[in-house]
Amino acid sequence: MNSALSRRLAFAGLFIAVTVAMLIPSEGDVRVAPETRQLYEWIDSIPPGSQVIVSFDHEASALPEIRPLALALLRHCFERDLVPIGVSLLAEGTGIGFALMDQTADEYDKTYGEDYAFLGFKPQFIAAILSMGESIPATYPEDYLGTPIDSLPAMVGVTTYDDVVGVLSIADGSMTTHWVEYGEARFGVPIAGAVTAAMITSYDPYLASGQMVALMGGLRGAAEYEQLIGIGGGGSRGLLAQSVSHLYVLAMIIIGNLLWWRARRRKGKESV
Amino acid sequence: MIDWGTIIAGLLTLAIFTFLYGDNPIYRFAESLLIGVSIGYFLVITWQNTIVSLLIKPLVSDGRIGLIIPLGLGLLMLSRFSSRLSFLSRLPIAVLIGSGAGVAIPAMLDARTLRQIDATIAPLWTDGGLAIGTIVVVLGVLTTLAYFYFSRAQTGSLGRISQIGIYFLMVFFGTTFGYTVMSRMSTFIGRMEFLLVDFLRLTQ
Repeated sequence: MNSALSRRLAFAGLFIAVTVAMLIPSEGDVRVAPETRQLYEWIDSIPPGSQVIVSFDHEASALPEIRPLALALLRHCFERDLVPIGVSLLAEGTGIGFALMDQTADEYDKTYGEDYAFLGFKPQFIAAILSMGESIPATYPEDYLGTPIDSLPAMVGVTTYDDVVGVLSIADGSMTTHWVEYGEARFGVPIAGAVTAAMITSYDPYLASGQMVALMGGLRGAAEYEQLIGIGGGGSRGLLAQSVSHLYVLAMIIIGNLLWWRARRRKGKESV
Repeated sequence: MIDWGTIIAGLLTLAIFTFLYGDNPIYRFAESLLIGVSIGYFLVITWQNTIVSLLIKPLVSDGRIGLIIPLGLGLLMLSRFSSRLSFLSRLPIAVLIGSGAGVAIPAMLDARTLRQIDATIAPLWTDGGLAIGTIVVVLGVLTTLAYFYFSRAQTGSLGRISQIGIYFLMVFFGTTFGYTVMSRMSTFIGRMEFLLVDFLRLTQ
């Protein structure tokens, strides 16, 4: 079998395995990781009415993984009557962040400008984080929709990081690191992260050292959080498919190694 | 009512998936569309949220004359397009590098080095008994640092210690790779969920 054909067969197998897993209705409890529970308890401990910055620091390509994380967190924020203030350090995160906030706000009958706000994108993320530490209204004179932020009730009393309970960075790359390095280290604002699974190991040291207050990651993190808030979503739906896909990858690794070992043995015999 | 957005997104997702069979014009069309739309969106957002909101409005409406300095520096950057005047772009680049380094070095030294060292220095014995986790952390830090010590040949006891450091590095790489596979699978599952639930409506 040539390599192109075997590659296509491997992809087709994964496609079928994931499709079947997603069509099978599955229900069951997920064991909640301590890190996810820590994030849930942190948000749960914030007094209602408090403002929290939600930073959408991701690109469109990470949306399948980011969306369930963001929705679960926003639902918890709105359920607790917190006032999320959306920002974005990456241009692509702007439209996505606004749409996600809008969708969840609708579910909880929240009004834009009063119960939440979206300030939009600022380039040069380091400058943006530092500038917000000096003055949020000077960094964002207007919100995403062009409304002066001093006319938004949700922004009343918010001048610097001292006036918000923390920053919740929803990221697919290293942006959360910059929040830690410039927001937490310089201004002491608590940073929590909801990141793609690939980034978890990069942020674990910051969580262990106390530079981040909480961290949650990947589709599994989303499923755990959905269980904690009692609202199902993309995380719970994709969990069986994820387990099946992992088993599939393991099977492929074993089969690949066995085939390689057999080919090497044959080659050895031929050379003798 | 027909949801054209979902139909277009579903067809484009399938177009991207055709790459799994091999490179083809349908995939290249979808890829080019993604790049074009991303750049267009970035330009519009940057123009609106930066140039208009932070420069033109405050300069014209509020009369903040000081903003002429960053405007001038920004315009000097465009001199790179002329071989005769390109030397002028060194000035804004120098300002960028100088201020960037000045801001980044203390912040990184504090967050990435000092605070991490501080977190590593923890009691090895606590009220609960021997702190196994802390011992593993200390052992990992010291042996990994030994592996990256290049001023002496990695032989003898230094070689044996750095060998343990390699094992710690392998555990880190393995964990990171595992999480990366998990992340890529999640992306694929997320798109499959969109196709099956929203696009094809085969499941709830």
